[in-house]
Amino acid sequence: MARSPLILVALISLIPLLCHSFSPETPTGRRILVLVDDLAVKSSQSLYFKSLSSRGYELDFKLADDPKIALQRYGQYLYDGLVLFCPTVERFGGSIDQAAILDFVDSGHDLIIAADVQSSDLIREIATECGADFDEDPAAMVIDHINYAVSENEGDHTVIASDNLIKSDVILGSSKIEAPVLFQGIGHSLNPANSLVFKVLSASPATYSANPKSKLSSPPALTGSAISLVSVMQARNNARILISGSLSMFSNRFFRSGVQKAQSSTKHEKSGNEQFLTEISKWVFHERGHLKAVNVKHHKVGEEDEPAVYRIKDDLEYSVEIYEWSGSSWEPYVADDVQVQFYMMSPYVLKTLTSDKKGVYSTSFKVPDVYGVFQFKVEYEKLGYTTLSLSKQIPVRPFKHNEYERFIPAAYPYYGAAFSMMVGFFLFSFVHLYSK
Amino acid sequence: MAAEPRWGSGGGAAALLLLLLVAAASICHAASNFLPVSDAHRSAALELFAPVDGSFGSLEETSEALQSFDILGIERRTNVRGSTCSSAVEVLGSSSSPVKDVFYALKVSSLLKCDVRQSQLEAIASRLKSVPSDASSLNDFYYSIGGLVLIKNQIPVVDVLLEDADKVFQAIKALSQSDGRWRYSSDNPVSSTYAAGMALETLAGVISLASNEIGQSRIDAVKNDILKLFDSIEKYDDGTFYFDEKVDGVGPLATTSSVVQGLTAFASTASGRVKLPEDNILGLTKYFLSIGIPGDAKEFFNQVNSLSCLENSRVSVPLILALPATVVSLTNKDKLKVRVTTALGSRSPPLKVKLVRAFISGSKDASVIENQELIFDSEGAFHILDLLPTSIDVGKYTFVFEIVLQDSEDAKVYVTGGQTKVPVYISAIIKIENAEISVLDSDLGSVDTQKKLNLGKEDDVSLAANHLQKLRLSFQLSTPHGHAFKPHQAILKLKHEKAEHIFLVGNSGKKFQVILDFLGLVEKFFYLSGRYDIQLSIGDAVMENSFCQDLGHVELDLPEAPEKAPRPAAQPDDPFSKYGPKAEISHIFRAPEKRPSENLSLAFLALTLLPFLGFLVGLLKLGVNLKNFPSAPVPAMFAILFHVGIGSILALYALFWLKLDLFTTLKALGLLGVFVMFVGHRILSHLASTSSKLKSA
Repeated sequence: MARSPLILVALISLIPLLCHSFSPETPTGRRILVLVDDLAVKSSQSLYFKSLSSRGYELDFKLADDPKIALQRYGQYLYDGLVLFCPTVERFGGSIDQAAILDFVDSGHDLIIAADVQSSDLIREIATECGADFDEDPAAMVIDHINYAVSENEGDHTVIASDNLIKSDVILGSSKIEAPVLFQGIGHSLNPANSLVFKVLSASPATYSANPKSKLSSPPALTGSAISLVSVMQARNNARILISGSLSMFSNRFFRSGVQKAQSSTKHEKSGNEQFLTEISKWVFHERGHLKAVNVKHHKVGEEDEPAVYRIKDDLEYSVEIYEWSGSSWEPYVADDVQVQFYMMSPYVLKTLTSDKKGVYSTSFKVPDVYGVFQFKVEYEKLGYTTLSLSKQIPVRPFKHNEYERFIPAAYPYYGAAFSMMVGFFLFSFVHLYSK
Repeated sequence: MAAEPRWGSGGGAAALLLLLLVAAASICHAASNFLPVSDAHRSAALELFAPVDGSFGSLEETSEALQSFDILGIERRTNVRGSTCSSAVEVLGSSSSPVKDVFYALKVSSLLKCDVRQSQLEAIASRLKSVPSDASSLNDFYYSIGGLVLIKNQIPVVDVLLEDADKVFQAIKALSQSDGRWRYSSDNPVSSTYAAGMALETLAGVISLASNEIGQSRIDAVKNDILKLFDSIEKYDDGTFYFDEKVDGVGPLATTSSVVQGLTAFASTASGRVKLPEDNILGLTKYFLSIGIPGDAKEFFNQVNSLSCLENSRVSVPLILALPATVVSLTNKDKLKVRVTTALGSRSPPLKVKLVRAFISGSKDASVIENQELIFDSEGAFHILDLLPTSIDVGKYTFVFEIVLQDSEDAKVYVTGGQTKVPVYISAIIKIENAEISVLDSDLGSVDTQKKLNLGKEDDVSLAANHLQKLRLSFQLSTPHGHAFKPHQAILKLKHEKAEHIFLVGNSGKKFQVILDFLGLVEKFFYLSGRYDIQLSIGDAVMENSFCQDLGHVELDLPEAPEKAPRPAAQPDDPFSKYGPKAEISHIFRAPEKRPSENLSLAFLALTLLPFLGFLVGLLKLGVNLKNFPSAPVPAMFAILFHVGIGSILALYALFWLKLDLFTTLKALGLLGVFVMFVGHRILSHLASTSSKLKSA
């Protein structure tokens, strides 16, 4: 009987292991729920899933209308990422609905959405919440009669070969994507009010979004470079979302297919899809661009210990260590645009930190001649990187009465006058009293 | 079931044939082009089944790899025979290895022709023969019967025949359900389509191993089950058929593959034909082809193996009609080629391909071509439509082909699926003429400025207009045959830095024209004056010279916006501009007070000392003396103490200036003051009394 409490203790100690959320200490071993409307997607998109599982993700495939699916149980999330490869689902099964998915993102989890022609309102609404508005015409597709992929079997120019990629190493990896990326699906525009979402793959100026089977009767809602094919969003809590208007761009067919852009003679053996989507999934699942800052230090020049208060016009040194998660370990982050602010209501000093290329950023400056409660602030926002927001409060006092300058030369006449007066008075006291 | 009479011997009524045609046409309702297995599959196979350290992994994986290579006719590049055979023999030698492993070991050894001793095989055979008699689960039946069939095919000498085949047959049949599906075991109530495929394959094995023939009634019952199973077949819109599994974890590909393998195995052993609708067989084939190239080894094997089963089965061999290219350029004088092969890409029997008709997609118009026979090019094994008739202009067409087998015997073996609809794009370079852009005066309609345009090449016009004028853009498009051409995309864009406006260019016949009356557009333009870039995009799927061109710009002078005019929507800003380092800020310190130079201060110091010097000089001049100093010792002592006291007070002031604080100073001053007052009083009263004495004297 004595064993049952022991088992209970053992079970309780296991509970923390059941929730896998991205934590800076152990970011590996993450579980991803993949919702599909047809299990055939699992095989037709298998190369993409293989690239995920080979990087250590546990994929859990479920039909989107499976009545048993759930994102959380007993208040704990069961998954760290969600992949919605179910463009046509009208209603999720189980306890999942639009609000549940948004809550999932709000608690810092990552999401990949692939829409397609005939996407359901549900998927559109989720994308709208993330700042991407898909073309409202359900039959519309992105068409480009100039930058389409040459194919002997696709004549309607809806397979687009795009190479308008965002120029960001952190999102797309450092090696350049040479071959154009194939895309077939619907376009979206970005909500200008949402500053967190941005285009990763955008369309060319000749692109438009319309139903290829019917004649255009009114100007298309989306045209030109305003069309985004693939967008990403990084929420304020660093949850990352990928929104794609095409499910087929993840497919084995597009991964393997060669690509030749119309009106261009270069033929690429393999499309850029695999590289593009693999790299971007690394970004979405925080294998790149996730920063942490540790060891924030500041002290007076020539001293080692952190003071409780600074005096105006002190010279101080500030340093912070910044590391980036590389998928397996924290590597020093190297950049030249990390800035520190010495802040009270507004920045009094804003200075770029110098990096020693080993992750340590430091600078030194003189405390302003204004006293009050200041903050050292590092607000590091860079496209594709998680936001670093550090602040440390420190008071600054004015000079004490005895810290001002003494024996100023300009005052010598006053000193001289006073003392000559005093000496004169002393002599005069003798003369006055004893002279005859 | 309408397709059944094809195989039926009697009847053959015209009405039934008509029904068959309707059924066949309905399969390919959605026109699509399925390409047979090609070299892309072979290179993918080499990639997927790449041996690691000279082995393909487990025996099951090895057998799948080897089978896929054999089906696709790929030579095995790496020699895996030695190590694989030895592990297969090891499994066969152990009497405790599971039946499943024995099955795959037998499979591998038969594929690689490993040296397995006959005595060993006999031992295995007797072991496997004992399994079915007391087996309860379908897996046991499947692997043991499958193993025995493999031994039989490998070394026919070994006695593998089942004495109680009828009983085994019954035991397996007992697991079948009324809807044609099977259960995995008698104590598992879940029925599965995947299991049905396994069961059919096992039953086929039992029939081939039976020492006494299985009763025809039993076989007919299973055939009936197959028909029921096909009632649950599911269909995609593009005319492909597949089986779906209701049980979790088995995908449609694996399920369909299992059924196809079971069906073809059963059909090839059981006496008499299995009558299935031919659209189902063709639909299943198209399903496997529609998958393309799977990325997973297991799925690849399922796909290739099923296609091979269908191709080699006695049910019927589907023929696939495919167009290597569905985009045909009139400008390049491309020829329309059609290729008919089996699903695995091997040659078809002699046949003719007939173009039944061709019509413009989506229109109800009469067809443009009818009943034309394609010419066979034996060199490339193509059927070529030599000359496109002039009635075919650019556009999207649907071509309807029909396969006519030359040998009537072949018709029993092959299924052609009746008519096949294929979408074909006929493209060409479109002639662009008479392009011009002009600014018109609104009231009179007279031309203010007019510029010729060179569409498709480069243009850079610069125009100016005000809100009382109109902008007119016009051009003509015609096909190579001289007909009017209406592109899908004919969009004029005016781009201001704050807003973008899109207009469709309409046409009447060949002539395309758009007139922008700025008076009616000022509100839409948000009263924004300034430079508008003009961009024209003309494009169509069948237009080879689609373009999107900047024509130049027009400088618009629009009236001032009234107060309540709508404002243009905000444009999304560039993500890069939002981030990036900010300008550095350094604090500007208060400037120190301006001070005179040190020399000046010293000069003034000297000046302040001058009166003191004057005072000293004056004293000397006056001839001061200390004759009044008391000579008596007590008053002299008081005088000295008095002046020491005054000196101390002055020194205290100096100390206060240098380092002392106010409290210490006041304390000391208090003490000194009392002292100075006392001694001062004594000496002053002494001096006063001496002077009064002097005066009185």
